[in-house]
Amino acid sequence: MTPLPPEDDPDLLAAEFVLGVLSPQDRAAAEVRIKQDRSFAKAVTAWETRLSGLNDSFPEVPAPDLMPRIEERLFGKPTPKPPFWRNWIAGAVSAAALGAAVFLLVPETIFTPDQSLVTLSGDAQALRYDVALEGETLRIARVAGPEAEAGTVHELWLIAGDAAPVSLGLITGDSISLQAPLLSAGMVLAISLEPTGGSPTGAPTGPVLVTGVIAGG
Amino acid sequence: MPAETDDPIADLLIRIARQDREAFRAIYPVTSAKLMGVLLRILGTRAEAEDALQEVYTRVWLRAGRYDASKGRGMTWLIAIARNHAIDRLRARPPQTSSGDDAEALDQLSDPRPGVLEGLVAQGEARRIVDCFGELEPDRAASVQGAYLDGLSYEDLARRFGVPLNTMRTWLRRSLVKLRECMES
Repeated sequence: MTPLPPEDDPDLLAAEFVLGVLSPQDRAAAEVRIKQDRSFAKAVTAWETRLSGLNDSFPEVPAPDLMPRIEERLFGKPTPKPPFWRNWIAGAVSAAALGAAVFLLVPETIFTPDQSLVTLSGDAQALRYDVALEGETLRIARVAGPEAEAGTVHELWLIAGDAAPVSLGLITGDSISLQAPLLSAGMVLAISLEPTGGSPTGAPTGPVLVTGVIAGG
Repeated sequence: MPAETDDPIADLLIRIARQDREAFRAIYPVTSAKLMGVLLRILGTRAEAEDALQEVYTRVWLRAGRYDASKGRGMTWLIAIARNHAIDRLRARPPQTSSGDDAEALDQLSDPRPGVLEGLVAQGEARRIVDCFGELEPDRAASVQGAYLDGLSYEDLARRFGVPLNTMRTWLRRSLVKLRECMES
């Protein structure tokens, strides 16, 4: 009978590790040794190859697609893309400016006639628009800065919550009046620079120039 | 990307080692069923096997740099990771749980066929090990396979074969020496 190699024979220890029969303590010690002792690591790989003929006995069992969860674990949750207009606004106006743009408090959803509602302004912009509610008419008047250059137009947008901006109209000349939409506190009014005729896509395409938040009372 | 080896899984592992996420995504559909089979057999429940599968692929991403295509097939390396993780989980289980699994393992081991090489397709590496297992006494061969395929520990094996732990250890070590000699001859 083949004599049994000594108790501490590294190659047999490697085999026992690969089989998985070691006690948890010995197993943990072997794992450390794999990282520190090259010849031991080689012996482990050699046993994995020797015994790999047994792998055919493992059946194939279809697994669900766990890749999204695995990737989330490794690479973090894919950050949901913020609504495009968030960046669009942030590009032109700081949050502070957005807050500062609110200068009038009105009772929630009830706007008294001839009430100046909000001033739209932006960082590094001389441009300012005053927005007032006159009855059921929203009046938007440029109170500072130049009008849009030839070939471009200022377009007014209403942004409610996380919804995409809705165009309220193009501002030609110094002021426009339009049928007031249903407004409430927290809604954002913004003006972007668009080609003449307005945004070709129905969503803002140009830079945002000025914004303002409608405040609640 | 040109193949670097004749082993498509090895090629994917080489790319994963370079942090190639496309390769990482590509390796899952071609290897997950086999690794699921390994985990399910050793761990016994689908829920735990699926949990372990996530951990295994996490390790594949983190350790792909250690894979050496000149030392073995990609699938062999992947199965080694899956088996190691499954065995770590088994050993971490409280004793009560593992005795229940032993009962199942006993059913598998009590297969009376001599030299139980269940469903082993005898070709290539497998052919060689079939021949070499054939040279072992049937219950010795069964104990090596019980450890490898079902994750049985020395303690489990000793209980199943009704021998003292040290006797089991001597049996198994002797069988391993014989296997090594046979496979290298």
